[in-house]
Amino acid sequence: MTHTQDKSAAFGLGVVIFIYLAVLTALEFFVAVTFEAISILVVIALVKAALVMYYYMHIYQLNAENEGDENSYAFKTGTNRFGLWLFLLSDAFVFGGLLVMRFNLLAMTRPHLNQTLGLIVTAVLLISSFFMNRGETAMAHGDRKGFLRNTAITFVLGFIFLIGVVFVEWRLAAEEGLVASFGNTSVGPQGAVFYMMTGMHAFHVFTGLIFLALVWNNARKGSFSAERHWGVEAATIYWHFVDLVWIFFYPALYLIGKLS
Amino acid sequence: MKRFFSIPLVRGLVWFVVGLLAGAAIVTGIRAVMGLELFGTRGFTEPAWVFGGFVATLSFLAGHGVMSDWFKVWRGEEVSEHHEDPEGWLKYLGPSLDHKVIGIQYTITALLLLVVGGVFALIFRTELAFEGMQFLSMDQYNTLMSLHGMVMIVSILLGIAGLMNYLVPLLIGAQDMAFPRLNAFSYWIAVPAAILLLMSMPLGGVETGWTGYPPLSASLNKLGQQMFFLGVFVAGWSSILGGLNLIVTVVRMRAKGMVAFRMPIFAWASIATSLISLTATQLIGLSFQLVMFQRLFGMGFFDPAKGGNPVLFQHLFWFYSHPAVYVFILPGLGIISELLPVFARKPLFGYRWIAMSSLGIALVGFLVWAHHMFTSGMNEYLRVPFMYSTLLVAVPTGVKFFSWVGTIWRGKLQTSTPMLFVLGGIVVFLMGGLSGPPNATVSTDLHLHDTYWIVGHFHDTMFGGFVFPFFAALYFWFPKATGRRMNEKLGQLHFWLMTPSFFVLTLGMMRIGLLGMRRRIADYDPALGFEMSHIVLTIAAFLIALSVLIFLINLVQSIRNGEVATGNVWNSRSPEWQVPSPMPAHNYDQPFEVVGEPYDYGLAGSKYVEFIASAKSKH
Amino acid sequence: MRHFVIVGILVIVTAILTYVGLDSVGLLPVEASAQAVSIDWLWNWQVVAISFLFSLIVVPMAYSLVVFRRRKGDTTDAEHIEGNTTLEIAWTVVPLIIVVIFAYMGAYSLGEIKRVDPDAVVIKVKAQQFQWTFEYPEYGIISTELHLPVNQQVVLKMEAVDVIHSFWVPEFRIKQDVVPGRVTEYRVTPNLVGLYKVRCAELCGSGHAVMEGLVVVSEEVNYEKWLAEQQAIAAAAQTPEGQGKLLVVKNGCGGCHSITSTPLPSAPTWFGLFGSNVELADGSTVVADDAFLTESIVDPTAKEVKGFSPSTMPPYVLTEEEVANIIAYIKTLK
Repeated sequence: MTHTQDKSAAFGLGVVIFIYLAVLTALEFFVAVTFEAISILVVIALVKAALVMYYYMHIYQLNAENEGDENSYAFKTGTNRFGLWLFLLSDAFVFGGLLVMRFNLLAMTRPHLNQTLGLIVTAVLLISSFFMNRGETAMAHGDRKGFLRNTAITFVLGFIFLIGVVFVEWRLAAEEGLVASFGNTSVGPQGAVFYMMTGMHAFHVFTGLIFLALVWNNARKGSFSAERHWGVEAATIYWHFVDLVWIFFYPALYLIGKLS
Repeated sequence: MKRFFSIPLVRGLVWFVVGLLAGAAIVTGIRAVMGLELFGTRGFTEPAWVFGGFVATLSFLAGHGVMSDWFKVWRGEEVSEHHEDPEGWLKYLGPSLDHKVIGIQYTITALLLLVVGGVFALIFRTELAFEGMQFLSMDQYNTLMSLHGMVMIVSILLGIAGLMNYLVPLLIGAQDMAFPRLNAFSYWIAVPAAILLLMSMPLGGVETGWTGYPPLSASLNKLGQQMFFLGVFVAGWSSILGGLNLIVTVVRMRAKGMVAFRMPIFAWASIATSLISLTATQLIGLSFQLVMFQRLFGMGFFDPAKGGNPVLFQHLFWFYSHPAVYVFILPGLGIISELLPVFARKPLFGYRWIAMSSLGIALVGFLVWAHHMFTSGMNEYLRVPFMYSTLLVAVPTGVKFFSWVGTIWRGKLQTSTPMLFVLGGIVVFLMGGLSGPPNATVSTDLHLHDTYWIVGHFHDTMFGGFVFPFFAALYFWFPKATGRRMNEKLGQLHFWLMTPSFFVLTLGMMRIGLLGMRRRIADYDPALGFEMSHIVLTIAAFLIALSVLIFLINLVQSIRNGEVATGNVWNSRSPEWQVPSPMPAHNYDQPFEVVGEPYDYGLAGSKYVEFIASAKSKH
Repeated sequence: MRHFVIVGILVIVTAILTYVGLDSVGLLPVEASAQAVSIDWLWNWQVVAISFLFSLIVVPMAYSLVVFRRRKGDTTDAEHIEGNTTLEIAWTVVPLIIVVIFAYMGAYSLGEIKRVDPDAVVIKVKAQQFQWTFEYPEYGIISTELHLPVNQQVVLKMEAVDVIHSFWVPEFRIKQDVVPGRVTEYRVTPNLVGLYKVRCAELCGSGHAVMEGLVVVSEEVNYEKWLAEQQAIAAAAQTPEGQGKLLVVKNGCGGCHSITSTPLPSAPTWFGLFGSNVELADGSTVVADDAFLTESIVDPTAKEVKGFSPSTMPPYVLTEEEVANIIAYIKTLK
């Protein structure tokens, strides 16, 4: 297999996985509106998460044999990769805690939210993950221009997601009466839960955007190559992680439970 | 003067103050635009103080210089892998990347906080000695008692981080931790955390105890509560990142031939501990963050009037805070297992079982949190399963005890100071362990919960699991770090003063607890007749403080004047003792290979490690 | 082998001595409820286990320390014993069985405690900073003392107003948190006539230490008598000060405002308050007359009394007449 074939195969795989994810998301939405089958939603979310972790975040690389001695780039990248995954594991506990809070306080009800907007921001984040994957694949094959282009698209999509949640969705939710209850005692906990969960996720999106910008800028200066691009890999994994969290938060906030 | 301000720590502190004011000013400015109240009873308003504290933490780190290398990497500049520290003690105030320096930084900070927390305890202990309030108000009592708890917890976290940082790379033959910059960051973020925590005192105090249960912690009349939460939140990050670094180090950086079951037992204990601090710590951070947001934004997570659930906080909180006690004790138990064979001159009895029991305790520890909530009004059906899971912890803990007895049995023990503290630690921890199951069985816990019995119980576990082994480790590895020994006579005095006093203290606590003394009360009903007991407890507490003072004097004295000891002082098989003390800056000049079992004392001609003569370490 | 026999005997002797010693110290307060019986039964078995396990670990350690200690001049290593898998399995499995037995005993005694008597007397409990208030719904009585008939199960339906409190009478053994926003139950069958105290066991603020209330367990006849007395008092209290006193009990004012000569930490005392000079936080003084007291009850922050934080006072909804009645009651406190 030649270098270009290898690269186009990797791009192709990215497209296939994206299609799977898109179909699953559509299925998820369909399941939620037609019959309330939480178990199916959970299974779909888990499948999506597995796809993202394996094909986009390359979790299997944790197991890779590292060539070279302790001071080689490959060995150090292996060490870094392990550290990053442990960090994500740790971070996952925060989001797990938020999910526990959501199901404890709201049980099987869900807040009034704009479904169309929810689907749009979810789609935007998913598409951004797709371009992130293309960007990383490009860099892994030494295609710096391709990386810069795809990462720029990812950045823009991520930015749109952030605007969509914080400036559009929050405002619409507030109009629906979903307030974080500034001193207002009559509202239920829906507002508090909604703003806390989306806020914590948005904070991670925000840090991810900074991360992408730094990596993009360094790539522009030529700091990365096909062999040495740990920074790109780290930003990619982190970005997919943010998507991974949303895979669970989206059904938890928008799809599961009855309207309160 | 200019030289003084070039000391990184001083620079960091200046930046801390600047950051605090800047952050507070920003929020006050925003409030001015929004037309809200600008100033509160404590100068700034509560949001201004909180944001100020947050900005202060970041600006401390930026000003101190511990993040400088990262800033360079982010700008795309190369950073040197090679890092030389300044000569002398100044390196301890700066962003050194050497794990040994960081380990000592951690240890010294832990001792400082131990003194602070200890002084708090002495103050309120004196107040408790006699019935009625003598010199503290009940509010001040609550603040001192709460901060005693949290300051000690942070102290213990830093103490174990100090031990693990200093020892683990040496024990596994690594040149340093896996991420030296992250390591320095983990330490230095704990400094602003400690400052924030202590700032809660002048800012109105804390009235909830270290557990910070809402709704009490969410009632708005105590600004100090907010600083308390913020301080703990920041300290949590130190613990999380430290744990992460340690796991990666042990997994990736071991010497040649060091397979899992040839690792030193302390490395096993550190892994078990770090797994908990890596993951569970996030939950205390989250729970405290939610209360902070409840106070700042009126979000009603735990406010029943807004549909919140106060018991939810307890679940999130204890999901960390119970495993946290295993974070505190597992390294200490590792130290006991590490030192026993050296002084008994016998292999560690059942090495694999001890190694696995640490992991067992850590993993079962994740499933027991609700035993703190048997009386909380949580769903009743949860109580029995949590009783079973909690009692299960007794099994791996028992394996440790029996294996220690197996190691001591027929061992030719000699009782120098480190060994005394190990033996004392075993007995004290045994008392802590045995006073645990009555709290785990629901029905007896209904009586014992929130009494002085509990206070006695956990002081036993903390002293047996951390304080005694910590002192043992300091006496034991002091020659490795300094090339000098600590004074043996003072060490013996320290032990023989502290141990009996401690027994009196905790057994006395347990006794009055059973008879009806509640915990966390500023004063007690004269009808109970506890005054005499409290006088005795107070005297015991002062004797413990005196013994620690003797230790500190010994420590300072021995750094300069201790007996020179550069060789294998304890005749240990462990690799760090095979090279002269003090340890050179970049650890081993020659890498070593593991060729035998770690604790094969008494087996003629056996060796644990062999230095690879031809190779030279790269650093 | 000889060593094992000696140690074995020593372990048993020490265990017995430890148990007898602990038992004779009198570890628990007097047993005053049916529920306490099953708790004390389990506790006793736990003391047995503690005594035995303590000896099992400490005696061999001490024995080894003395008998096998390093003799002067001996620099050799000890015997090379790496471990013993049979032993390890034994001391994993045996403790496992023991803890399962104890867990079973725990569940059994919990079942005993929770046994429900359908005829249990219902009493409502209100906990607030720093006062327990008890309501007997069948009799229309509200009191700050808890009176209970002996040998009759009562169920306390408890609710907290502000923060979490915990209902604990040491002599009854059981304890139950009182949580805002939900009703928790406390089921107890007192079986010993006497005076006890309910003590708040969950840190609830500055006055937590003094949040105690009298619990009176009496014979059925005396209990009935007390109920009748209280009803009579309530019915007779048509005077403003009588009404005021009832309001004070009902709202739990006494949790912070002392009505006796002993002051409480978190709020000004009412004892001898009327007509006295009150020092304010800004340094001025004011006479505690009707106008000042009315203002302070309606808006506590209007005039801040020196040494106290008025924001801790919860908002109360009271009519003008009720405020006047409370002040009338305060006037009687001298």
